[in-house]
Amino acid sequence: MYFYSSLGYLLWILSIKLGTGDLAKYPFLNEASNYIRDTHFDFEELNRPEIEHIIYRAAKKIDVEITKGIIYEELEKYEVEILTFLITLIMVKSIGLELVLKKHSLLEAIRAEKFLIEDLKREKNQQKRRLLLFKIFEDLFKFKVDIDSENHQLFKVKVTDYLERAVQFHEQEWKLINRLVHKGYVYLDADETVRLIRSELSTLIYNRVKSMTFSSLPKAIKSRVDELSIKFKPMYEVRRIYTTTDYPPCIKHALDVMAIGENLSHSGRVMLATYMLAIGKSVEEVSALFHKAPDYNEETTRYQVEHLAGSRGSRIKYSVPSCKKLLNENLCFATEKCNGIINPIQFGRNK
Amino acid sequence: MINTNPTEKSLSIVKSAFREYYFKHSKNIEAPLRIEEREFGYMQFGSGMVRHIVFRNVGEILAVLVRDIPSDVYCSNAYYVFPSYPMQEKQWKGADLIFDIDSKDLCLSCEPTHSYFICINCGKISESKSEICLSCNTRRINRTSIPCNKCIHTLKKEVERLIDLLSGDLGIKEDAIQIYFSGNNGFHVHISDTEFHKLGSQARADIVGYLMGNSVMVESIGVRKGPEGFFIKFPKSGLAYGWRKRIACELGISQSSILKLSKMVQQKGGYDEFRTELIKTVRDLGVRIDPHVTIDIHRVFRMAGTLNSKSGLTKKRCHDLKSFDPLNDACLLGDKEIDMEIKARVKLRLKGQIFNLKKQNTRLPMYAAVYLICKGLASAN
Repeated sequence: MYFYSSLGYLLWILSIKLGTGDLAKYPFLNEASNYIRDTHFDFEELNRPEIEHIIYRAAKKIDVEITKGIIYEELEKYEVEILTFLITLIMVKSIGLELVLKKHSLLEAIRAEKFLIEDLKREKNQQKRRLLLFKIFEDLFKFKVDIDSENHQLFKVKVTDYLERAVQFHEQEWKLINRLVHKGYVYLDADETVRLIRSELSTLIYNRVKSMTFSSLPKAIKSRVDELSIKFKPMYEVRRIYTTTDYPPCIKHALDVMAIGENLSHSGRVMLATYMLAIGKSVEEVSALFHKAPDYNEETTRYQVEHLAGSRGSRIKYSVPSCKKLLNENLCFATEKCNGIINPIQFGRNK
Repeated sequence: MINTNPTEKSLSIVKSAFREYYFKHSKNIEAPLRIEEREFGYMQFGSGMVRHIVFRNVGEILAVLVRDIPSDVYCSNAYYVFPSYPMQEKQWKGADLIFDIDSKDLCLSCEPTHSYFICINCGKISESKSEICLSCNTRRINRTSIPCNKCIHTLKKEVERLIDLLSGDLGIKEDAIQIYFSGNNGFHVHISDTEFHKLGSQARADIVGYLMGNSVMVESIGVRKGPEGFFIKFPKSGLAYGWRKRIACELGISQSSILKLSKMVQQKGGYDEFRTELIKTVRDLGVRIDPHVTIDIHRVFRMAGTLNSKSGLTKKRCHDLKSFDPLNDACLLGDKEIDMEIKARVKLRLKGQIFNLKKQNTRLPMYAAVYLICKGLASAN
């Protein structure tokens, strides 16, 4: 077991530094932001001709991610990677499509995940491995990961830290019972450990974009953004129109129940409201669906729908419950048309 | 709440016993940690639940106890920003992790020998299980049980098994584990380790699954499905601890037993058959807790030191589980004699006294009288 006094640990962390190669792979680290700040990089400099190839590269990266749904594998030197990262964020922000932002954030996280797994598996220097764990897990996400003292290819994380993250995964292998658990720690290999932070990494990138503010776009970037916007907008509009016209049987059943003024269970109401919100209906439209419910109260209904929409309370938009969950709650009325979907929101998409 | 509908006189006896308890034993009432962030609730004899109450200190709780003489008093496991607001506006901050081990979940073989089925409609008591009342043909039957020594012994063993898993696997320190007798037929295990407070329902469900031995995969001990049925590849993290160790011990294998495990799977008939048997083995080794209790992060729990109206016994902290005797240590009502009508044959041990009762009129000490009224097996004369 490794043990550091908090002062000793701090001194140790301060004594070693990340290399430039690390900043290329992990441009979201605070050190990468410091690099931009230290070089006094100005927004206007993005119009300079020598930056053009980086802007081209950033646009290509986004295009590959959004149209092909895969990560951009190419890794350049750190100056290029840090600027590419910054420019992709500006571009994604300017495109202004939520689904593009979400997809980019996720794929950027998966890209970093790939590099991190390689580093944790191949790096022989234990100090360097510990530094990476500290900088990425602890510094960014307050998630402490240690290297197992007996088997250096294994990592140990606190049971509670593990549970908070692993509950997002539906595969049975992530259930605590299928893990090696001992004295409050879960033991994982590099792939599993890094997988645990995908969602947090993705959220970190998403929030970076969301919090960006700039008054005008440099010309060199604007033309690329316009091209990408024209390409992406139809891709995300088609899906929305389709799903609103063809409801899955569980939703049809819930609508029928509401239409004749019968009582729909709480879970049924949550399913109906989250589904309608997910296909783009407004809070007003969704609230109106419940007006025939025997216990209808305009104010309460609106409050609850706003909660599900993420505009109240925890500010988290609720997802549509999975088919498995609906089956358990007797809300599933699957037909052949459902054809193996795992969430009602997927109904009809594969036609 | 008290089983069936007690007579007015019986109810008055119970209330008077409860009042006396709250006057005499106010020191037993345990103030929960972060009291001002909790929601409290209580049931009153013959009426509904009062919820969303806030107390700032134990003195305020005691004032309500002696004024209203509630039948049952509850406190939330959760901490809220606004505990007195309606549920959706309380703003959840975290919740204690609590486990419930109840004799009803243990399916004990002795259970039918001390269970009673009471018709809510006509009050008829039967000692054999029946869906319909043989006297008035209604289906409104309440089941009640008088725990025997075997029940208590098995419950305590189950609590010990739970604590082994909590400390050995989940790393919860002994001083963060508090054991309480529930005041009726079970034990509550409270975890005060703040690391667990932040966990939501799903994470708690995963802990419950772990403790109960649910959802185990044969792959976790190295048996994998392959083109030729199955093959063995032990996990990188090994079999040295936790469930993997328990399973390895049960099967008599170790990280070097590829051939032995392979033979074992073949003998069972292959991957699917081995999987089915392993799932059953692990469930049998798991702890029998009530999953709903642990998963619910907005639940109200009986408050420590208060009385349980299903028995008149106290929810009481067990500092030493081995020596704790709930039918003695949690039986704290007075012993003034009461004239009673016993409605069924009952064998009962309370406060070191053994009561062998048949259908008869008799005099009983207050604690035994209240216990039998609460169980629906006797009335005050």
